[in-house]
Parts: sequence; structure tokens; C-alpha cells
Amino acid sequence: MKIFVDPPQNESRRDRIERNVFAQLAQMRVAERADAAVPAQPASNRRAWMFAGLGAAVAAAVILVVSTKGEAPAPARVAEDTTPSRIVTPVGGESQFTVADAVIVAASDTSVDVKRAADGGITLVVARGAVDCDVAPRNNRPPFHVIAGDVSVEVVGTRFTVARTPSPRVDVVRGKVRVRATGGTWLLSAGDSWTPPVSGSGEQVAEQAPVSDQTPEAADPQIEIDRVQNPPTLTPTPMAPHAQYQLAQKLEATDVPRAAKMYRVVASSKDSWAAPALFGLAELEAKTNATHALADCNEYLRRFANSAQAEDVAWLRIEILRSAGRRDEARVAATEYLRQWPQGSYAGIARRIASPP
Amino acid sequence: MGLSIVERPTPEDEAELVAACLAGDVAAQRALFRREFGRINATIYRILGPTREVDDLVQETFIAVFRGLAKFRGDSRLSTWIDRIAVRVALDHVRTRKASSVPLGVIGDELADASIPDAQAHARDGLRRLYAALAQLSPEARTAFALYAIDGRSIAEVARLVGTTAVTAKVRIWRARRELMKRAAADPVLKELL
Repeated sequence: MKIFVDPPQNESRRDRIERNVFAQLAQMRVAERADAAVPAQPASNRRAWMFAGLGAAVAAAVILVVSTKGEAPAPARVAEDTTPSRIVTPVGGESQFTVADAVIVAASDTSVDVKRAADGGITLVVARGAVDCDVAPRNNRPPFHVIAGDVSVEVVGTRFTVARTPSPRVDVVRGKVRVRATGGTWLLSAGDSWTPPVSGSGEQVAEQAPVSDQTPEAADPQIEIDRVQNPPTLTPTPMAPHAQYQLAQKLEATDVPRAAKMYRVVASSKDSWAAPALFGLAELEAKTNATHALADCNEYLRRFANSAQAEDVAWLRIEILRSAGRRDEARVAATEYLRQWPQGSYAGIARRIASPP
Repeated sequence: MGLSIVERPTPEDEAELVAACLAGDVAAQRALFRREFGRINATIYRILGPTREVDDLVQETFIAVFRGLAKFRGDSRLSTWIDRIAVRVALDHVRTRKASSVPLGVIGDELADASIPDAQAHARDGLRRLYAALAQLSPEARTAFALYAIDGRSIAEVARLVGTTAVTAKVRIWRARRELMKRAAADPVLKELL
């Protein structure tokens, strides 16, 4: 018995859960650091007190950043701005904060300044470390920039990471950003990564191609980047056996011949999904063609005799024979089943079938 | 044309990813979340059905994963270890009867919509009846059955995930199936789904 239940696939829902998870984790870490910063016993020397006080001060500053956040932020609806002008995270920690409609996570050992322009524009200046930014598309919103040393990142939208140390790097998770650095301007799309071109080494910088600042549309930088950076991603890749198996399950309800064909392709492979696919095929064909279904069952029991579902397949074989009115063969099959699984899940009914008429 | 590419990470990849996560690398943590989200979401949804609690439990699972990552010894695949946490979270939830009886239509776009075709409405009705029937079973039988018959796990996997022997898992699945078939005999919509 297989029942198809399709779980909801919704990117915004996944993003919301992701934000909640990381916001909660950040809060937990901050609370733990605050607990750890309070000495259980008064320290006996002055130096120890100084470090404890410093730790508590850092923890308190981070708590101020995070605890005012309340519910986990959703970038599109964040109204409360909880941003101090400078955020410093300790080694091993991270901090999440909001700036207008953006949710920023500062990584371990990061120092970042937040600056606001008169037009509402926001600039993050990363002195060290890395920031992960989830920013709404800037269509009619004030500009959003991140500066890391000589590298300036302008947000087109929507999510990316900028690292200053150990070396400058920009990773775009979603949307697009424009990177300006010595040597040119680059427009990066989701999945692109940028590191500074190696100058004077003669080495080809293959990760991204600079685009003209004046005519970005004409240059079509996204295509340029794909062509230079990662041509294999544009080549169709055969569907993975797992995906084929799932598709075959879906197709059972609408296109039985195609579902059977897809099950057969997976079943004929040496992938770990071959056994479930052959079982699926046997069950599917049991509804329409007993001869084929029995052949599938026999093939399964020959190839996957020790698999977890072998017993179920053996039982399916008995059911197919009974449904086809082949009672004598069903009796023999039930006897074989009992020999192999005397205490099996179907042993009771198998005994009744196996008993002489 | 939609392409689905499933890449199985090697143990070395997993070890690196775990190490990066433990070192506080946010990008690695998010990569792990995104890699595992689809499967965990599906497993919890298939055990509980379409209720409001699914999002909370997925969240709870990932928090437990990241909080407990230091305890992952690499004895099994990382995905198996995470699956076990997800199943434990779902099973605990069912055991404490926190599961609400909110029927289909509360997640995402599934809210009742007069414009949806009859076939979809019929399928949703079948699903609602299935989970109503599953709710009558013991938490253990319900979970084992859902993992096997809905989430497509093998009996051996079910046994590993719920922490029992294959024989016990099989018996639970068998009993659940028997109960469902009994109910289906008097419920044509459920019978059609099964």
C-alpha cells in the first residue's frame, strides 16, 4: 500500500521557517553567553573581574541588539528598526539585527558599522568578518550598500553574503547585486560568487566577468557570467532515480503507462531506488496485467531477496494469484511465503490460503 | 522543462559541512538547512497531515539539529541522524496529543477555495479522512505506517527511525493497515485513496 501525500512546497514558507530557526538559535546563543558571563563565584583577583565585566558588557550589548527584535523578523514587513550604529560579534557567536526592511546576520568575529543617508539609503561598512543580508528588492526603496574594504556591493535584491575577512567575497543566494571593486563592476545573480580578480598573476579569473557600468543591459552580465563561470549548469542533466521514482508515483494517478515506464527505468538501474521502483511497478501492473505483475514480483524476489520489502512483495504475489483465480499457484506461493517468514505479518492469512481445500 | 537534480553528498562533504556549522559558519548552517528542509518538511507533514503545527515542528527539528550537531559522531549518515530527530519530534508531538484536528486547508495555498476543481476537493477530502483515521491509531502505529506507506521508507528504515526492531515496525504497520482497511470498508472516499 502506497499513499501519495504531497507536502506544501512554498519558498516563502521555507524562508520564513529559516528566519525563525536562525533567529531563535541566535537568541539562545546570546542568552547562553549572558549566563556564562555572570561569574558564579566572585573572582578573587582584579584582572578576572575586568574580564568578567568586559564579557558581561559585550553580552549585554548583543542582548540589546537581539532582544528588542521580538518575533522573528520577516523582511517584507519589518517595521521596527533595532540597529545600533556599530555591531561587534564575539568569536564563535553571531548576531541578527534589522535595518529598515533588511534582516542582517553578522557572523562570528565581525565588526560592522551602519550608516544612514538623508534619502533613507543604508550603508553597512564591514570592518572585519562577514554579514549575511536578506534585503527586499530595491525597486522604489532607498538604496542599500555594503562596503568591505575596497569592495562596494549595491543591492538590486535580495539575499547575499559579504565577507571582508579572511578575504573579500560575495555570495548571492537570491536576486541580484552589483559589485564594484578595483578592476570593474560585476552584476551577480543567484548562485554566483565573487572574489577579487588576481592581478598580475596571469591567472584567468573565471568566476565572473566584469561588465560595463554604463550599459549593463546591453552587456547582459548574467549571461556573460554563466558562460564564463559555469557552463555545465546550462546542460540538461538526467533526472536522478529518486526524482524519477517520485514522479512515477505522481503519474500513477494520471498516466499509468508513463508511470510504469519510469518505474521500469529506475528498477533496471543499480541505484538504491531500484527495489522500491520494482515494487511500485509490480503494484501498478497488478491492477492491469497479472502476468507482468507476477514477473515483476519474481524479478524482485530474485534480485532483492534480502530487502526490507521482500516479504511484502511475496505477499503481493499471493494476492495477484488469488485475484487471477489461480488458487493452486496461490497455495504454493503461500507455502513458500510461510517457509521464509513463518512469523511474518501475513502469516495468519497465508496459513489459511496454504491449507488444503 | 523542470529538472530535478539530487546529489548525494559524500561522508567527507558531510564532515566538512558539520565542521563548518560547528565553527559558526552561517553560510554552512544555512546550506545545511536548505539541503535538509525539503525532506524534513515532507516527513513531518506526512506523519501529521496538514495541520498548523507542521511549521512549528519543522522549526523545532532544525533547532534540535543545530543545537545537537556537536553530538553527531558520524556513525550514520547525517540525513539519517536528522531524520531520527524529526521523527522523534513528530512522535513526541503525537504522543502528547498536541496535534490539533485542524483539517486540510490551513497551510499555504490550500485554504478553501471555491474555484478549485472537484477532483482536488475530492482528493483533499480523502486526505482529511485518512488523517482522521490515522489519528485513531496509537502514536507508534500511526508514525510507523506514515513513514512506510506515505513517506515511502522501507521497513528497515522505519525501524531505525522509530528505534525499534524490524519485526515490531512491521507489526505496527500491519496493524495500522488493518485498522485503516476496516474503516475504509465503510468509507468509500477513504477506500478510494487507499
